[in-house]
Amino acid sequence: MAETTATGTTSEEWQPKIVMFCCNWCSYGGADSAGMGRFQQPPTVRVIRVMCSGRMDPVFILNAFLEGADGVLFSGCHIGDCHYVNGNYKATIKYKFLKAMVNELGIEDERLKLDWISASEGERYAQVVTEFTEQIKKAGPSPLKPEGVV
Amino acid sequence: MDIGDCYVGWATDEDIRTRGASGGLVTAMLAAALEKGLVEAVVVLKKLGEFEAVPVVTSDPEEVKAAAGSMHSVPIVLSRYLEYGTKVALPAKPCDARSTIEQAKRGQVDIDTTYIVGLNCGGTMHPAGTRDMLDVMYKLDPNDIEGEEIDKGKLIFETKDGKEHAIKIDELEEEGYGRRESCQYCAVNIPTMADIACGNWGVIGDLAGKGTFVEINTTKGIAILENAINAGAVEITPADDKGKAIRAKVDGAMMKVAAAANEKYLSPIEGSHLDYYMNALANCINCGACKTVCPVCACGETAKCTEFSSASDTYKMSLFHLVRFVHLMDSCIGCGQCTDVCPVDIPLTHIYRRFAEPMQEEFEYKPGMDMTTPPFFGVDLIEEGH
Repeated sequence: MAETTATGTTSEEWQPKIVMFCCNWCSYGGADSAGMGRFQQPPTVRVIRVMCSGRMDPVFILNAFLEGADGVLFSGCHIGDCHYVNGNYKATIKYKFLKAMVNELGIEDERLKLDWISASEGERYAQVVTEFTEQIKKAGPSPLKPEGVV
Repeated sequence: MDIGDCYVGWATDEDIRTRGASGGLVTAMLAAALEKGLVEAVVVLKKLGEFEAVPVVTSDPEEVKAAAGSMHSVPIVLSRYLEYGTKVALPAKPCDARSTIEQAKRGQVDIDTTYIVGLNCGGTMHPAGTRDMLDVMYKLDPNDIEGEEIDKGKLIFETKDGKEHAIKIDELEEEGYGRRESCQYCAVNIPTMADIACGNWGVIGDLAGKGTFVEINTTKGIAILENAINAGAVEITPADDKGKAIRAKVDGAMMKVAAAANEKYLSPIEGSHLDYYMNALANCINCGACKTVCPVCACGETAKCTEFSSASDTYKMSLFHLVRFVHLMDSCIGCGQCTDVCPVDIPLTHIYRRFAEPMQEEFEYKPGMDMTTPPFFGVDLIEEGH
């Protein structure tokens, strides 16, 4: 049964699986705002809440890819707004390393993205998710996806 | 005596002078440090045979005097042998020194009680590989070998009947023998990060072959050399400028060769990177030996790389290796031990370098060169004042 989704596509078209890590204080609130404000977004994202973007461990991201995620987004408070002083700054350093690593590994680096979304930016949240989904759709299924995983 | 001073020195003891290489300065200095109580222990290499040596911790000056260096020793992971805070002197190749400094940054070794006596290094060879090479390239019986040396780009073996057999190192390396791969592209030949850097490069004139060139790098370096002079074990004379220039020239030439090897070995991967890495790691049996020997890994038994992966995983790539890749991007010193110990011959150092090299270049950070640069994840935060 063809079901129309927010982006106007049908479910017969391949839908990427995206894992999104949101920080408790900003981006998770941003996701709430997006829902409250009824901003349309594709249902491709599985949100996992972490206390801070600085909590993001490279292991989480690598594991998401190995488990079959087509893309990984992680998001936190804007630089300077971190609830824990400099957690998001630490996240940028890890992101730099992960980006270089994902590149060298041969996974297209557009599959990994770090963005800042504050709790009030519901619209921006929807926009980031939409854009990222489009990006992953272009890239296709992840080469690291285990066999049998859709 | 000041930091940055260069000297040429030799042992006063006739016996040490004849048995040790280049005037026996290092041996005499280590023995004097033990005798005068500057250190409690010295790490020496004990020869197991012509091709192999193991690091041994000793507090007996006689054993230090009896020990001889070996071309085939692997890098030393000091924290595995000694308790934290032991006063120790360690003769160290640049990779030994760098690994010790990295361990000190991670709280595994107390750098204030560790005297690193650096030795110039042009590369080491794998014991098993050397036996193979003797058989195939030199057509010699490995058991007949009595001595070896490197001179003017040639690797020379001396057999028991007194004959010398020389082949150019370049030729050997083209055939896949000679120095270990990681040594071929290692560009650190003079251990400037050690407390005191010793070697025979730059010893000229009458002293050639009879003296050791010494450069003082830290106050600990002054302490250990002065201790030996006061004990009457060592004599020194200031190095002349010509010697210094020659030393720098040799170093420069070696660095050029290393850069060329680096380009050759780490040339871009043709085809899919992912396929390349998946094929390379396909044989992994999850033994964990690469992690156990890694001198910059201070995680201990329960580490992120082991705890989050299991042999029953059916992922396309092992999480163990992926975590190690990230981990080593900022700290791999390229010592080559992981490749040496891998039971299924995965070229791990080569793979780690592929990840680490671009990152370390981008951040202009060379791990293990000094104590003031922390592991990379810390660097920026301090600089930015957070």
